[in-house]
Amino acid sequence: MTATAKRTTGRARSERRLGWMLCAPAVTVMLLVTAYPIVYALYLSLQRYDLRFPDDHGFVGLDNYQAVLSNGVWWQDLINTLVITAASVIVELILGFALAFVMYRAFFGRAVVRSAILVPYGIITVVAAFAWRFAFDPTTGFVNGLTNSDRSWFTEQWSSYVVIISTEVWKTTPFMSLLLLAGFMLVPQDAVRAARVDGASAWQRLWKIIIPLMKPAILVAVLFRTLDAFRIFDTIYVQTRGAQNTESVSIIGYQTLISRLNLGLGSAVSVLIFACVLIIAFVFVKGFGANLAQQRGENP
Amino acid sequence: MSRRRASDKAFWAGGIVIVVIYALLPVAWIVSLSLKPTDEITNGKFLPQHPSFDNFSDVWKDPQFPSALRNSLGIALISTLLAVVLATFAAYAIVRLDFPGKTLIMSGALAIAMFPPVAIIGPLFNMWRSLHLFDTWFGLIIPYMTFTLPMAIWTLSAFFREIPWDLDKAARVDGATPFQAFRKVIAPLAAPGMFTSAILVFIFAWNDFLFATALTSTNRARTVPAAITFFTGSSQFDFPTGQIAAASVIVTIPIIVMVLLFQRRIVAGLTSGAVKG
Amino acid sequence: MTRRALAAAAAGCVLAGLLTACGGGGGEESAPVLHWYVYNEPSGAFRTAAKRCTKAADGAYSIVTVDLPNNADEQREQLVRRLAARDGDIDILGMDVIWTAEFAEAEWVKPFPDDEAKEVTDGRLEPAIKTGTYEDRLYAAPFNSNAEMLWYREDVTPKPPATWDGILDQAAELRAAGEPDQILGQGQRYEGLVVWFTSLLESAGGHVLDESGTKVSLETGPTRKALQIMRDISRSPSTPDNFATAREDDGRLAWETGDAAFMTNYSFVWPSANENAPAVAEQMRWARFPAVREDVPSKVAIGGFNLGVGGYTDHPDEAFDAVSCLVGEENQITNATDGGLLPVTEALYDDPKLTEATTEVEVDGKQVEVRSFPYADVIKDELADAIVRPQTPYYNDVALAIARTLHPTKGIDPERDVERLREAIGRALKGEGLL
Repeated sequence: MTATAKRTTGRARSERRLGWMLCAPAVTVMLLVTAYPIVYALYLSLQRYDLRFPDDHGFVGLDNYQAVLSNGVWWQDLINTLVITAASVIVELILGFALAFVMYRAFFGRAVVRSAILVPYGIITVVAAFAWRFAFDPTTGFVNGLTNSDRSWFTEQWSSYVVIISTEVWKTTPFMSLLLLAGFMLVPQDAVRAARVDGASAWQRLWKIIIPLMKPAILVAVLFRTLDAFRIFDTIYVQTRGAQNTESVSIIGYQTLISRLNLGLGSAVSVLIFACVLIIAFVFVKGFGANLAQQRGENP
Repeated sequence: MSRRRASDKAFWAGGIVIVVIYALLPVAWIVSLSLKPTDEITNGKFLPQHPSFDNFSDVWKDPQFPSALRNSLGIALISTLLAVVLATFAAYAIVRLDFPGKTLIMSGALAIAMFPPVAIIGPLFNMWRSLHLFDTWFGLIIPYMTFTLPMAIWTLSAFFREIPWDLDKAARVDGATPFQAFRKVIAPLAAPGMFTSAILVFIFAWNDFLFATALTSTNRARTVPAAITFFTGSSQFDFPTGQIAAASVIVTIPIIVMVLLFQRRIVAGLTSGAVKG
Repeated sequence: MTRRALAAAAAGCVLAGLLTACGGGGGEESAPVLHWYVYNEPSGAFRTAAKRCTKAADGAYSIVTVDLPNNADEQREQLVRRLAARDGDIDILGMDVIWTAEFAEAEWVKPFPDDEAKEVTDGRLEPAIKTGTYEDRLYAAPFNSNAEMLWYREDVTPKPPATWDGILDQAAELRAAGEPDQILGQGQRYEGLVVWFTSLLESAGGHVLDESGTKVSLETGPTRKALQIMRDISRSPSTPDNFATAREDDGRLAWETGDAAFMTNYSFVWPSANENAPAVAEQMRWARFPAVREDVPSKVAIGGFNLGVGGYTDHPDEAFDAVSCLVGEENQITNATDGGLLPVTEALYDDPKLTEATTEVEVDGKQVEVRSFPYADVIKDELADAIVRPQTPYYNDVALAIARTLHPTKGIDPERDVERLREAIGRALKGEGLL
C-alpha cells in the first residue's frame, strides 16, 4: 500500500529524517512516562525505600518480592481481580453481542441507540460507581425498595462483587459492543445468505458462520477489555475501598505506594502487576492467536 | 411476509427500548438523587417528592468544586490539544512516510494502551516531587497525554489511510516540501479524524481518577473525579450524598452533550482501529 | 521546516511554563502568608480563627486556610504526599491526634520551642497534650478534642446500661417487648473500628503496644474479652445488617429514624437530631461510653485535632506564633459554639460560655433554642482519663492491620484472632509486608 517506488537516496534520506522527527515528540513522551518509570519501579522494588523513614534506605535484593509473594494478601487480591475480570468480561461479551446485534439490525432509531449507549462509555467511572453504590445502599437506594428486601449489599463479599461487577459491566459493555459491531460489519453477507438458503437456522448461522468470521474482532475486544478490567481501581475505591475481601491488585498497589508511602514494597507490587499484564497479553496473542496489528489495521 | 416484518419491527423496537433503559437508568437515578432535599435522601424512592436545587447550590458553595471543575476543564483541554497535535505528526509519518521503526512505534503504542497505570504512579510521584510537578496542572497533563497518545495515533492512522493522498503527491510535484504539503493539503482533510480523536482523548482525561488522586493534593490541580470523593458534609462525620450526586450530574452534562452531538464520530473513532483500514 | 518544528516545540514549552506558573501561588514580598492546611470545617470556625489571628499579628503575617478532605484518612494521604514532596508551602497543618509520631519521626513537623510549648499546653487536658507529644517533645498543639459517648433514649431505657454486656441484655429485652432496640456503632473497615477496638481493649485492662511503643502487647485475657464483645455486638439481632459498612454518619441517620435504643457516637449527633428528628431528640440522653468490666469505668480513645508546624516551612517563627494564637481559648470557644468542636482547655468545660450556650434549630418551621453542650460534664470526665491510641511512627500500618484483621467483626473468633492480630501488628511495626 505504501509507496515504495525507488527514489533518489537524498529524497529517501530526507523522508526518513522527517518521519523520525514527526514521531519523535510522541515517542519521547511515551518513553519518558512509561518506560522510564517502569525501569525506575524495577530499581525501587529492590530497595528498602519508605518515605516516612528518609534515613533508612538501602539495597535489599529481592526481599520486597519475597514479602509480597509470601503474603496471602497478594494472592487473595490477585484472585479477586481475576474473578472480577473474568466475570465482567464474560457478561460484557454476551451483553455486548446482544447490543451490537440490536445496533446492527436497528433500521430505525440507530442514532438514539448509539447516543444512549455512549452515555455509560463517556460517564466518569467514579460517578458511575457512586450512582450504583447509592442505588444499592440500604438507606439511600431504590433497589431494596424495588425488590422488597433489606439487604446490605456491601457487607458480604458476593453481594459486593455483584454491585462492583454490575457497575463495570454497565460502564464498559458499550465499548465492547462497538468493537463487536465493527466485527459484524466485516462478515460477508453473501456467506450468511447462502447459509440461509441452505436451510441453516438463525442459531446455526450465528455459531457456524458469523462467530467464526468474527473471531479476530472478538479476540481483540476481549483482550482489550480483559486488560482494562484487570486494572480495576476507581469502582472498588468508591464502593468498598477493598473491604469484604473485594480488594484488587491496583488497590493494594495504590495503598502501599500512596497511603503507606512505602515505595520499595509498593514498587514490587507494581512490577508484579505489570508482569501479570504481560502474561495475559502473551496468552492471548500466542494462545488464541489474537493478531492485533493486522486486526487494528496496521498492515504496511 | 408483511406480518413477519411487522413482528420483526416490534421485536427490534423492544430491543431498542431495553437498550435505552439499560444505558440511562443509572443516570436518571443520580439525577433524581441530586434533586432530593436532605430529608428525602434516605426515603428509598426512585423519584424525588419535592424536587429542590439545594444540593446544586451547596456544591457551588463548597470551595472545592468550582476549582476542581476549572482544573478538570483546563487539564482535559490542554491534554487533548497536545495529544492530538503530537499524534497527528506521528500518524502522518507512519501512514505517509517510509522509514524504519514505524512498526515498532505502532506496537509500542499498543503496548502502552494496555499498560497498567498503577504500576507507575509510585515512580511518577517520586519523580514529580523532585521536578516540582506534583500537584500542578502539568503533572497531570503529561500522564494523560501519554496514555491517550496510543489511542490517538491508532485512530488517526486509521483515518489518514482513507485520505486521498494523491492530492498530497500532486502538491509535492508542484514543488511543495512534504511539510507544506502536510499543512496546506492534508491537514484540512485530516480535521475530522483529529476531531474524533480529540473527543476520545478528552473523555479519557475527564474520566481519570487514579492519577488525579495520586498526583494532586489541593484545589490547585485536583480534578473533579478526585474532588467528588473528598466532599465535605455539614460536619466532619457527615456523608454528603446529595452533594456528590449534584456534582456528578454537573460533570456528566458535558459528556451527554458531546455524546448527543458527536455520537457518529465517537462510534467511528472507537471502531476505526478495529476495522481494517 | 526544522525551524518551524522547533518553534512549535518552543511554543509548547512556553505553554508549559505558563501552566506551572498559573499552578504556583503568587509571590509575597513583605509579610509572609501562612498556609494553614486543614479540613474544610463547614461552619467557617477555622476561617474565623485565621482572620482573628491575622488581625492579632498586626501585619507580621497573615493566615489563609487551604482545604483538605473531611475524612481523616484522606486528609492524611493528601498531607503526607505533599510533605514527602518536601513542600514548603505547608506552614501550619491540622493533624488528627493519631499522626504525631509518624509526622515527627519523618521530620514533617517541627518540634515546638520551649516557650511556645509551654503556652499551648497550659491548662490543657492531659491526654490531649499526650497526643501531641512524641519522645518527650511537643510536635502538635492541642486544638480541639472529642470522645464517643453512649447515646440512649429516656423513654426506652430510663436507666442506661453501664457495660456492653448490659447493652446486649437490655437490647434483647427491648426486642422481645417490641420496643426500639437497635444498637448502632462503627463497624466499617476504617479508623472508627480501631477506635472501638482500642477503647474496648484498654477498658478491659489491655494495651496494643508495650511501654516502649515498639513491641506488641495485646495481653491475651483483655484482648480476647475485647474481641468477644465486638463479635457479640456484631452478631446481636439488634445490630443492623449494615454494621459492617457503618460509619459515624450511618449511625446518626439510623438514630434519627427512631428505631434505635443505643448508639456510640460523637457529639455531632446532638445538633443534627434536634434539627432533623425533634421527637427523638427530646428523649435523647447521654452517658459515659460503656465499660467492659462491671466495676471499672470505661476508657475512651481521645479524638480531635492538633496543629503542627510544617517541617519545610520558610517561616517557622511566624508559624509557631500563629499556632499559639489559633489554639487560644477564644478560638476554642468559636470552634465549639459555631462548629460543635469541643475544647482542649479543661476549664472551658465549666465555662458558662459553653455550658450555657444554645443553638437555634428549626423545628416544623419554628425556631427553637436548645442547649448546645448539655453533655459537657460527661465528656469532660471521659476526656480526663481518656487513652491515647498507640504512639508509633507506624501507627497508620498498625491501624490498617487492626482494621483488616478484625473486619468484618461478625466473623471474629476470639480464640484464633488474638494470635492473628499479634502477627499482623508485629508485621506492621516492622513496616514489612502487605497489610
